[in-house]
Amino acid sequence: MASIPVIQSQQEHFEEWQLPDRGKVGMLTLILGESALFSMFVLAYIFYIGKSISGPQPAQVLDIPVFMTICLWSSSFTIWLAERAIEHGKMKIFAGFWALTIALGAIFLGGTALEWKRLIYHDGLTITTNLFGTTFYSLVGLHASHVVVGLIMLITVLILTLTGHVKQEHAHRIKTLALYWHFVDAVWVIVFTVVYVLGR
Amino acid sequence: MTEISKHSSGHGHEGQIHIPANTAWPLVLAFGLTLSFGGILLGIWITVLGLLLCLISIIGWFRDVLPHESAEYVSVEVRPFVSETTRKVVDRIELPLLEHKPGELLPQATLIAGLKGGIFGGVAMAVVVMIYGQLIHGSVWYGVNLLGGAGVADWTNATTAQIAEFHWGWFLIALLIHSTASILMGLIYGAMLPMLPSRPMLLSGIAAPLIWSGLLYAGMGIINPAMNSRISWPWFLVSQLVFGLVAGWVVAHDENFKRIRKMPLAIRVGLEVPGLIQENHQGESH
Amino acid sequence: MADQTLPIGGVVDVTELKAPKQTFLEWLAEWFITVDHKKLGILYVVYAMVFLLIGGLEALVIRLQLAIPNNHLVSPQIYDELFTMHGTTMVFIMGMPILVGLANYIVPLQIGARDMAFPRLNAFSFWMTAFGGLLMYYSYIGGFGLYGVGTAPDFGWFAYAPLTSPAFSPGRAPDYWAVALIVMGWGSLGAGVNIITTTLTMRCKGMTLMRMPLFTWLMLVVSFLMVIAIPCLTAAQGMLMIDRYIGGHFFDTQAGGSAILWMHFFWIFGHPEVYILALPAFGLASEIIPVFSRKAIFGYPAMVAASVGIGFLSFGVWAHHMFTVGMSGPTNTFFVIASMLVGIPTGIKIFNWLATIWGGKIWFATPMLFSIAFIFQFLVGGLTGVMLAAAPWDWQLHNSYFVVAHFHYILVGAIVFMVFAAIYYWFPKVTGKMLDERLGKLHFWLFLIGFHLTFDFMHIPGILGMPRHIYTYMPSRGWGMWNMIETVGAFVQAIAVLVLVFNIIVSLRSGKEAGNDPWDAWTLEWATTSPPPAYNFAVDPVVKSRRPLWDLKHPEDPDWKYE
Ligand SMILES: [Cu+2]
Repeated sequence: MASIPVIQSQQEHFEEWQLPDRGKVGMLTLILGESALFSMFVLAYIFYIGKSISGPQPAQVLDIPVFMTICLWSSSFTIWLAERAIEHGKMKIFAGFWALTIALGAIFLGGTALEWKRLIYHDGLTITTNLFGTTFYSLVGLHASHVVVGLIMLITVLILTLTGHVKQEHAHRIKTLALYWHFVDAVWVIVFTVVYVLGR
Repeated sequence: MTEISKHSSGHGHEGQIHIPANTAWPLVLAFGLTLSFGGILLGIWITVLGLLLCLISIIGWFRDVLPHESAEYVSVEVRPFVSETTRKVVDRIELPLLEHKPGELLPQATLIAGLKGGIFGGVAMAVVVMIYGQLIHGSVWYGVNLLGGAGVADWTNATTAQIAEFHWGWFLIALLIHSTASILMGLIYGAMLPMLPSRPMLLSGIAAPLIWSGLLYAGMGIINPAMNSRISWPWFLVSQLVFGLVAGWVVAHDENFKRIRKMPLAIRVGLEVPGLIQENHQGESH
Repeated sequence: MADQTLPIGGVVDVTELKAPKQTFLEWLAEWFITVDHKKLGILYVVYAMVFLLIGGLEALVIRLQLAIPNNHLVSPQIYDELFTMHGTTMVFIMGMPILVGLANYIVPLQIGARDMAFPRLNAFSFWMTAFGGLLMYYSYIGGFGLYGVGTAPDFGWFAYAPLTSPAFSPGRAPDYWAVALIVMGWGSLGAGVNIITTTLTMRCKGMTLMRMPLFTWLMLVVSFLMVIAIPCLTAAQGMLMIDRYIGGHFFDTQAGGSAILWMHFFWIFGHPEVYILALPAFGLASEIIPVFSRKAIFGYPAMVAASVGIGFLSFGVWAHHMFTVGMSGPTNTFFVIASMLVGIPTGIKIFNWLATIWGGKIWFATPMLFSIAFIFQFLVGGLTGVMLAAAPWDWQLHNSYFVVAHFHYILVGAIVFMVFAAIYYWFPKVTGKMLDERLGKLHFWLFLIGFHLTFDFMHIPGILGMPRHIYTYMPSRGWGMWNMIETVGAFVQAIAVLVLVFNIIVSLRSGKEAGNDPWDAWTLEWATTSPPPAYNFAVDPVVKSRRPLWDLKHPEDPDWKYE
């Protein structure tokens, strides 16, 4: 029987053996899938621009939601400040910016609710009215549902922070979660452009 | 010597491994989600039940992984192990010794020979097309515009006079299509000719142009009828044969190419055989 | 001796297996709450095998109905449900789960990991897949249609609008179809995310991307396809549900909606789906062929590049399913050329498999027999694919039995053949017992004969004009004999599958002991015991080449010198 074949492992320098972070890769992959989901609804919206047989048409009823858009996009900035704070262990500042992010997200959601209320009761546009209604409520609603899911997760983290369960060592998990929030904001860039700029 | 891996599940003490503990929450969550979706079909109370299960299982799952992942510790005992094969003899595909390491020679040589062939062939073909335009339609630009104009949207029932004029847009498009196609075809010649049996000129100069001209002849009527009605197929064939002969001649008379053709087939097709591939004596891998 | 405990295969686990002192109920419960990738892999495969039998049974009834002209064995309604459920089952409930299951079992072992990146998500994904499939079949008994009967989907597996609109499907059939697939879609998305993360972040030391076994590589590509393509289907089905339940107009032509949009959306998902099924088979072939040719795979980098290339191309060819819709000339031309481009990377693969076999010392064990048949059948199926990619040819033969024969040549002749090869190849690792070789060879030859009887002859009535989804036909058409041959072949295949089931049962009870490495193979899964312990490797392996076990077995001639 031959001698035991052994590879001299000291020849390779495995101290350099670095693999990407598990949570981050998982979240990015999930975001990739979500992007595909959104792109189908965006495609449907673009495909049906101007194809509604009956009114109301987008130009007649849609106003550009400047304030809520600013709120949502600035929430990406505040959550980034929160990420930096937790990385440096400044938990008070983290909690502050985190809460601010939630507030901004909630304002956005409230803005959407008011817009829908006006569209439904004032302009008479529902999902069954015409193609514009169908594609508009589906696309904006899909985005809003993602904001809701994001807010639920953000609030959970806020509660855990206030009860003292979130610490500096959880920074990378917080950053993974923040990735999702950045994605939700980025999707709004597309939705905003397609619905309020191109489609009007 | 013990290096503890950075795997999330790989931490552990000497002789102990932790693996994630079994849990029913994923099952319950999946069931809950199915019910809440299925409620659309089966009734609203099913959805309510499903959502309730979802909520419970999400909380349960959450408490499973936070603050600490629940795990089972398994103790293991290890000892040296021999991985043996009954097939100890390694046979090698024997090849004659070479003065050059073909691994260095092959890709660049074929690339350069092919590139040269494509350029020369393309120029020769362009000349033929221009001669055709001048002789038959009185304008060197006729063939150029046929190629450049056919694929573009503004080609709508153009008259022969229009096609004979010079158009910058059509010219640039034709130049782009023609040079890309010529160079790609040249590269294919460079890559393929070393592998094929002898008589490169017959293959590249006559056989290959005949084949693709025939394919285009058969298909053009369906792909682009407007262009098809204007193509003079005998002239087309002549221009392709000129391309093939020139490109083939240039490739076949390249110095490196001639050297490669003398090598055994296994080398020419790029077989990965020890001896052909450079040995890595330091034992360092990349 | 200290040095010898570290590297790959340098150690073996001698921990005593604790005698399973558990009752049957405890044993059963463990299968429901497990998060172990190996157990989940087995669950996936067993679940899929059950549906292989169910879907196969449906196919047999379809074949019986078509065997002779003017046949009325089943009613047209039941016949429509049968071919819809057969397609849906084989693609979603059998095909994807069995391949994901194989990946679940093998990928972590091949990269020297202890488990998947997210073990609980893994369990969740399986149960979503399983419950989705059960919900789909619940449509046979649940949900009340027009006449109080169950309403299984009856509009073909691609569910073209407006067949799914309330006017044409007044029952619950499209709802069951959409909801069940949405549920399964979440499972596939989870599996995709998990496999990508596992291959990218859980590799053992030294396992660079370009040293990963090709099956793992292919599953990485497939997982990306799943993550991108499955949500497209989920979106389309969401739109369908919006149309049906809250009065949307996505596919409602009365209100300006477009039925063609559904076709685009379905095939944007549908074509990558075909590759989600086919690429794992390429991966399996790339594992099995080298081992039984006793030669390293030819052209590893080209194989990787071709796989990634196929992955990218697969998103740009979907409209070749829609040539008969009447698209513009440039659109047709684009999709013809893009579809034909797929022939290049697949050609590279076939060439590389043949070059691997060439000059090798071939061992004709059952896995190798299936693999060799795979190469040639895949070639034929690929060639009819190139024919159908030419728009004029497709105008003539679209939705005829020629198309049915073409894709069954890929789905059965390539994919199912490789799945069978994989079962013979990895069964010893999973159970510790060898499958019986004599029964295996019987299985192979019966299945091969049955396959060719059915699907070779299926091309002919297709060319003669027999359309897909047809209920029955007149004797004067001249399709009768061909259909009879196909039906006979289908039953031969069914007998072959029963031989496999019998083989599995017999070998589980009294099969030959397998040992750690029965095929004298080279990838890491063979460096642990059969079946592997819950934690796979007692010590994390370290690899230096693509064939770590070759390096161990041939210390005088290791791979890492050349790579
Ligand atoms: Cu396709």
